[in-house]
Formats: sequence, C-alpha cells, structure tokens
Amino acid sequence: MFYRETGQFKTSYAADMQIFPIRQDRIALWVLLAVAFIGIPLLNAFHIWPFGNEYMLRAILIPFLILSLAAIGLNILTGYCGQLSLGSGAFMAIGAYSAYKFGTGVHIPFGLFDLSIPPLPMLPSILLGALMSAVVGILFGIPSLRIKGLYLAVATLAAQFFFDWVFIRVKWFTNYNSSGSVSAPDLNFFGFVVNAPIERYLLCLIFVAIFALLAKNLVRGNIGRQWMATRDMDIAAELMGIRPLYAKLSAFAISSFIMGVAGALWAFVYLGAWEPLAFSIDRSFQILFMVIIGGLGSILGSFLGAAFILVLPILLDQVPHALGVPISVETVSLLVFIVTGALICWLLIVEPRGFARLWSTGKEKLRLWPYPY
Amino acid sequence: MRAPDGPPVTAGDVLLSIDNVSLSFGGVKAVSGVSFDIRKGEIRAIIGPNGAGKTSMLNIINGFYHPQEGVITFKGEARARMRPHDAADGGIARTFQNVALFRGMTALDNIMAGRTLKMRRNMFWQMLRIGPALAEEVEHRHRVEEIIDFLKIQEIRRTPVSRLPYGLQKRVELGRALAMEPELLLLDEPMAGMNIEEKEDMSRFILDVNDHYGTTIALIEHDMGVVMDLSDRVVVLDHGIKIADGTPNEVKSNQAVIDAYLGVAH
Repeated sequence: MFYRETGQFKTSYAADMQIFPIRQDRIALWVLLAVAFIGIPLLNAFHIWPFGNEYMLRAILIPFLILSLAAIGLNILTGYCGQLSLGSGAFMAIGAYSAYKFGTGVHIPFGLFDLSIPPLPMLPSILLGALMSAVVGILFGIPSLRIKGLYLAVATLAAQFFFDWVFIRVKWFTNYNSSGSVSAPDLNFFGFVVNAPIERYLLCLIFVAIFALLAKNLVRGNIGRQWMATRDMDIAAELMGIRPLYAKLSAFAISSFIMGVAGALWAFVYLGAWEPLAFSIDRSFQILFMVIIGGLGSILGSFLGAAFILVLPILLDQVPHALGVPISVETVSLLVFIVTGALICWLLIVEPRGFARLWSTGKEKLRLWPYPY
Repeated sequence: MRAPDGPPVTAGDVLLSIDNVSLSFGGVKAVSGVSFDIRKGEIRAIIGPNGAGKTSMLNIINGFYHPQEGVITFKGEARARMRPHDAADGGIARTFQNVALFRGMTALDNIMAGRTLKMRRNMFWQMLRIGPALAEEVEHRHRVEEIIDFLKIQEIRRTPVSRLPYGLQKRVELGRALAMEPELLLLDEPMAGMNIEEKEDMSRFILDVNDHYGTTIALIEHDMGVVMDLSDRVVVLDHGIKIADGTPNEVKSNQAVIDAYLGVAH
C-alpha cells in the first residue's frame, strides 16, 4: 500500500539508471545507513539493548560485515562472471598475510641485494595486501580460459591447498614466529588508533559501504555486462567483441582484491591474532554457501546470505536457553548443525535462486498488494 | 590480426568477398571451394537444404571458424585468420539460429551489452560512475533506446529475456546485433519457428534495418517466400558446394536448385 512507484516519473536516463529508482527504496536505504552509522554507535554509547554490550558487535556485526564483503567478492566472480571458485579462503589469506607483511616491514634477503620496505601505515598495507591477492587471483584465473565449471573449481582448490601450505611452512610470512600464529599490528589510521569494539565496527562498516558501492557500480556498468554476458553465453559474447581473457581475468582480479580486503579485515579487526587455520577450506565453503543462498549475481544477496549463514546458528544457539529447555551445550551445537543444514536444503528447494530472488518477488508482490495483479 | 580500417565502401561495391573457401572437420567437408561476394547495401540470402554448410559459412565470415583454404576479403583487406573479436570490431554482427541471448540479463542490458566495443571508459571510471563515465553510460543508453523504439519493444525493456516469448527474444537478439552498429549483419534463420504474423514483423524489421541504417545483410532462411521477397541476390549451397548464385528469379528457375530441394529421380 505504501510501496508504490506511481507518479515517480524519470526525466533523464541518469535518473532512470540509479541503483534504487523507486523513492521508497532510497528512503529505506538512507534509514538503514543512518541506523548503521549513527543509531548503533549511539545505542552503544548509552548501553541500550541490544547494542549496549560488546557481544553483539564482536560476535555478530563485525564478522557479518567482513564476511559480507568477502561474499561480494566471490559473487562478482561466481555470481556475475560464472566462474566457480573454491579458493576464497586462500585469497583472503593472501590479503591478510600480505597486509601483515607490509604493515610490519618487508625484508627479502636475496643473496646479492636485499629488498627492504619499511613498515607501512595501516591503510596502504591493507590495500597493497589486497593488490597482492588480486595479482595471485589473476594467476589462478588463467586456467579459467580453458576450463569451466566444476573443473575450474578443482583448479581453484589448488590455490586453497597451496596457500594453506605456504602460510604454515614458509616462516617468512609469519615473521619467523615459533608458534606460527601472528598478531596484527596496531590499527592506526592516520594517527587514530582503532581499538574499542564500536570503533572496529565502524571501520568495517566504512570499508563495506565503500566497496559495496564500487562493486555495484561495476556490475551495472559496461564491465559488469561483459561479465554477465560471459557467464550466460560465452560464444555469443565473444562474437560481439567481448574478450573472454579480459572479462574473466578482470573478474578474478576485482574479486580477489575485495576478498583480500575482507581477509585483512578478518585478520586484523576481527581476530587480532590468527593462525593459517583461520583461512582454511572451511572458510571458502562458508563464503560459497553465503553466495549461493543469498543469491548468485546480486550484491544485496551477498549481505542476506552472510546474515543467514552467520547469524542463524548464533540465534539457534540461544533458543533452547531462552526457552529454558535443559539441553547440554554439546547437544545444542549439534542440533544447530542439523537445523541449519535442513534449513539450507529447504530453502534451496523452495527458492534455488536464493534470498535475493525472494526479496525481488516480494517487492513485486508488495507493489500490487492488496490486489493479486 | 587487426580489423581492416580501409576506405569506406560505397553502395554497390563489394563489401565482402569469399574466394574458393574450404572448411573441413576431420574427414567431413563442411564447405568446399565456395566463392561469392556480398555487395554494400544489399540483402544477400544464403539458402540450401539441411547440412548444406550455411551456418558454417556465417561462422567463417565472422571468424569463429578458420577455413583451411581460401581467402576472405572484407572492406578490401584480405585476411587469413581472424578472431571473432576482430570481426566484431570491424563491423560484423550476427544473430544465431538458436537464440543466444544472455538469459540472466534484461532486454535492455542485452542490447546495452551490444555497445561494449563502443564504450571507452576504463574500469576505474566505471567503478566511480561519475562525470565522464556516467555521461558515456547515458549516451549509449540513448542509442539503445533508439533501437528499442525502432523494434517496438519498449514495454519489455526491464524484463529478463528468459521470460520473453520466442518471437520477442528473436527481436531482442536483432536489437543486440543492431546496437553494434554493424556494416554487415549476419542473420542465421531469423524466422525459424515463427508464426506468419511474427514472420511479417521480422521481415519488415529486416527491410527497415537495410533501408534506415543502410546495413548490408546476409541471411540464412528456410522460408522460400521470405527469401524470394526480401533478398536482392541469393546464393545456394548444397553439401558444401555452391550450386547457384543470382537474383531470386534466376535461382528459382535453376535446375540444380530444384534438384537439390526436390531430389532427382535415379
């Protein structure tokens, strides 16, 4: 009833091509951003439920934001360009370890000449780390020019296992720390040290907001159409002048860059100190599931999928406790696995295109409500 | 090899010529020793029974197949091997026998994708989508809207093409090829599986494209009524060999063509 676009006429193509052409959507977005940027910090400052304590920020919002960013990265590659990848964890790890090396100073002892880079500030470290991830992404994307689908997924799996091994075995990456675990340097952004959970949350929020906007611009621009054309009908795309080399490798590069940023944030902001296990194959699968359940080829879907996969188990965990059912913690965690798995199966049967499709169907229905058509 | 950027070809001159071209897949000869030309501004039909090598011929013209023998001269420049990308860059666009639209995209995005080669802003501008990048996007949207008006598909521009009926899909595919502003448009069975009204619509669009944009058209079609009405000249292939070439009337009365279509008494 309130969701009507009647009377909203566009007089320019620029207005017609904006991300949210319907006014109600734009209002909703601004409200959401206001809540995220102003509302939550205010609630936190005055210790008002549910954002008064650290738990909500630390255990839910921060990982949700970072994994959403990783899901956006994978969605560009798998959802938009159609290249199935199981190497997300590896690209995140490269982002994290490269950022760590840039942040603590790079020293490469070649026999004849030494290459030394002094420790860089935090922001350049993260971006350079992500750039390293993009370079490796391009390298591991080269097989995609010849192989497709599941075969490509296996090739990206090679990246996952190779970098798992590298970051465990090559001590140089962990600055020769005996335990193999690494602690993040201070999160110093232009002299401001990010420390409190609310500051960490805002830092992630800024990164995610900026990268989500840039990603959205890419996928609705010329390069995005090239990606989708390559995904949907690669031969027709090639006959129209789209170079498969450029389309696929640019998708690998952009996707790995974003996943690199997400990896650096995951390591520095969420974990603080981490081991290579933080970026294992489990992480790759987790992000792939987010993308599939959220909706392939949708930026919004990346957020919805991340929320579902990450938040649902946490909520389910609380249910027996809240109801006062006396079940042991181990049983609860097992039940959570079972229920989450069952929900994923059910969801994929009901709506194989994920939450993003549910959302758009819902919006179409809402436009006509209460009439059937 | 780069696309030829030769002098503009005026109407009536030869735009594309095919000399003694042969193509085989292993032991199967798809096309053997075929020569014909396409003149600027004409509608040229390629006909023949099933398996005659018509689609292979189109695939050779736009660089998807590389013939083992023969020379293809486009806009005065001979080429041996050419990538599909270069053919597209040189001004050859095509539609497909089985609709080859980008199924996950809307009709508008499909046609916008046809403008890829005309868009110059790099990824960083597109990422920011401000100033020149937005202006470029708007300018190309403008051109695409002209094509949408031309093909009368305004009301479906936001519809994902997978939801469109077959006839409209064919029309969107024509729009996507037109968005490339081609000099030579290759249509592979544009009217296959259509009813009579849809065929009439499509015929009108083909004539309009030829008339309005001056586009040279090479088309494969099985409906002889359509071929005879639309085309200026017809080339007939059978089993990969050219058996006739000429105006529709000449071809219609050619004994070899009649034999190929109706069979010969043994």
